[in-house]
Amino acid sequence: MSNAIELCGVSKSFGDTLAVSNLDLQIPHGSLCGFLGPNGAGKSTTIRMIMSIIYGNSGTVRVFGTTALAAKDRIGYLPEERGVYRKMKVGAFIEYIARLKGMRGSMLRKKVKDWLEKIELPDIHNKRCEELSKGMQQKVQFLAAIIHDPELIILDEPFTGLDPVNAKVIGKIIDELHQDGRTILFSTHVLPQAEQICDRIVMIDRGLKVLDGSISDIKRQFDPRVIQVEPVDPTNDFSNLDGIASVDEMDRDGCVNLRLEDDADATDILRKITEQTPVRGIQIVRPTLDEIFIEQVARNRGTEAASAAREELTHA
Amino acid sequence: MTKAFLFGAIIMPILMMALFIVVVPLMMESNKTPLRGTIAVVAPDDVIAELEHQLGQSKGIGDEIIEQLPVLLQADPIATAMLASDSITEVELVSATFDEIDDIKQQVRLKELAGLIVVPEKLVETWDTEERFELFIPTSFSPNHTDLLKSATSKSIVDARLRRLGHVPTDIRDLLRRPRARASRLTEDGKEAIDNEVARRIIPLAFMMLLWIATFTSGNYLLTTTIEEKGNKVMEVLLSAISPLQLLGGKILGQAGVSAVILGMYGSAAIAGLIAFALFDLIPIFHLVLFAIYFVMAYFMIATIMAAVGSAVTELRDAQSLMGPIMLLMIVPLAIWPILAEHPNGAIATVTSVIPPLIPFVMIIRITSSTEPVMMWEIILSIVIGFASVIAMVWMCARIFRIGVLMLGKPPNLLELIRWVKQG
Repeated sequence: MSNAIELCGVSKSFGDTLAVSNLDLQIPHGSLCGFLGPNGAGKSTTIRMIMSIIYGNSGTVRVFGTTALAAKDRIGYLPEERGVYRKMKVGAFIEYIARLKGMRGSMLRKKVKDWLEKIELPDIHNKRCEELSKGMQQKVQFLAAIIHDPELIILDEPFTGLDPVNAKVIGKIIDELHQDGRTILFSTHVLPQAEQICDRIVMIDRGLKVLDGSISDIKRQFDPRVIQVEPVDPTNDFSNLDGIASVDEMDRDGCVNLRLEDDADATDILRKITEQTPVRGIQIVRPTLDEIFIEQVARNRGTEAASAAREELTHA
Repeated sequence: MTKAFLFGAIIMPILMMALFIVVVPLMMESNKTPLRGTIAVVAPDDVIAELEHQLGQSKGIGDEIIEQLPVLLQADPIATAMLASDSITEVELVSATFDEIDDIKQQVRLKELAGLIVVPEKLVETWDTEERFELFIPTSFSPNHTDLLKSATSKSIVDARLRRLGHVPTDIRDLLRRPRARASRLTEDGKEAIDNEVARRIIPLAFMMLLWIATFTSGNYLLTTTIEEKGNKVMEVLLSAISPLQLLGGKILGQAGVSAVILGMYGSAAIAGLIAFALFDLIPIFHLVLFAIYFVMAYFMIATIMAAVGSAVTELRDAQSLMGPIMLLMIVPLAIWPILAEHPNGAIATVTSVIPPLIPFVMIIRITSSTEPVMMWEIILSIVIGFASVIAMVWMCARIFRIGVLMLGKPPNLLELIRWVKQG
């Protein structure tokens, strides 16, 4: 599969701050890729470089084998900073952006109306943008990004500020566009969201790429480090077993998470637990993206930074 | 196309043209409404005779004013065209006595008589008196007609005084008429040009102000829309569709079109005004052509500067500090225009004609002031320097724009802007 986006050794600094460091990235055609990382990781800077809005200090950026400038009509982009012409009518605004993207013809107005119905905003064509709520404006901007049927869609934090119902509407459209063969790259700092809809993720932290691959590959890369047990005897002590690093407190359902030492074999410990005490249930817990991310941060920047990242993700 | 644009750029100038072509002539026409009716006069017989003569001559108030104007303005077609009018009177004067005054006033109230004029004998005998002549008119009496009666009566009293002393009033008036001058400018190519003092003073200022207002209105619009697009974050959406240079180019060219429409409409209104007063020959076509050239030059200079400043800041008040030095420079032509108009080939004019942002404004004053013609080589040099600096300014401002449009936070100072130009 050829790549829609290719970044090779791209770096970008603002004054003394290194925003993106020697980033290599390939986004294959037709993939739905989550671009993940905490706030300030360098996601928006990377996306702006992909879009040729800003330029890196070094490295090459290629979109459809050329630059985004040359292929702008084939790209749809929803920036992180949302903006509309406040006094302009919604229909006119979307048509204006569509025309900037090379769309022409008498069918444009009908297309805009059809799409407004699809995103569940059928009656706002003649309303001024300033009359819309923030969430409605965001949906209008999402529409402006995809109205010209782009092959590549880049969405910077598309769900921020949307309520769950509207997030679901946009999520459904993103999924349909993906099914239709479009390449989609969307950034988010809400990792579980990406885990649900992406087939591939790229994770960066402080300008450095820390993970890149399909979700299943990534999860496979990371050995399960947690075994969840529901013991028949709640007083049973698991800490004396070899290979157990720590034991979490029992949760309300009577389950206990056992965290394994780095070199421990999960299958072996599973067997030992069942030999020691009767259990109602037992499973090896696959790591979530949050956990994988925190582990990566810990590897890159130490445990203190990992705790800070955990805190950030909890509040995201 | 917004309603405000339609109103400001198209409807307003059309209304102005209508004002010049239709309303002004109509207003002048209204002065010609004849004064009709019977007016009772309580005055010495010789005054009544003079008054009959005055009203029979039916000179309008405009002609009165023109006669009283300084010679300089009498020669001016603008002033005479503005004031000229010829009221017609169809009035019958009836002599009355002091005893009848109360009855006549009642008749005037009932509009049976058009008015009553009372002139005391003493007023004719001597000028050295506190007495005044009186005019009684109905409430609906036109102000023009009131002025006409006042003026005619006043003149009749003076004429009666003169006749009592054995003079012929028209002879005296003719003797008192101040001789007029005709100033001709002797040009170096052997021609003579009739001087028009008012036009010579007003036209250069009018041209420069038109240029100044047209370019700064557009420039200001570019400044505010760029700040708005940055402020409401629509800039990044635009930049995902077009490059910063395309955006800058589009904004400047688009606004140029708008300015050309506005200028064209207001220019047409001005020309309509000149045609209405038969003064169009005061402006040579060559000056209009040069005006168009200098407009393009001034527009691109101011528009690019304003767009660059707009791109560098996030709020209008931040723009003020960057605009300060630019505005200080741009005030110069407004401050020195009388010197430029008086000495179009003087040292100040020559020096300011090669300072880029001032070139179009200074040159248009120099060219349209008729004191001394500006040498053709100077005009060509100013156009070359002007357009070369337009190219340099567009290049610099484009670099500032490219970096500025995505910059948020603290506005840059002048040194940072220079750094952006180097980086861009």
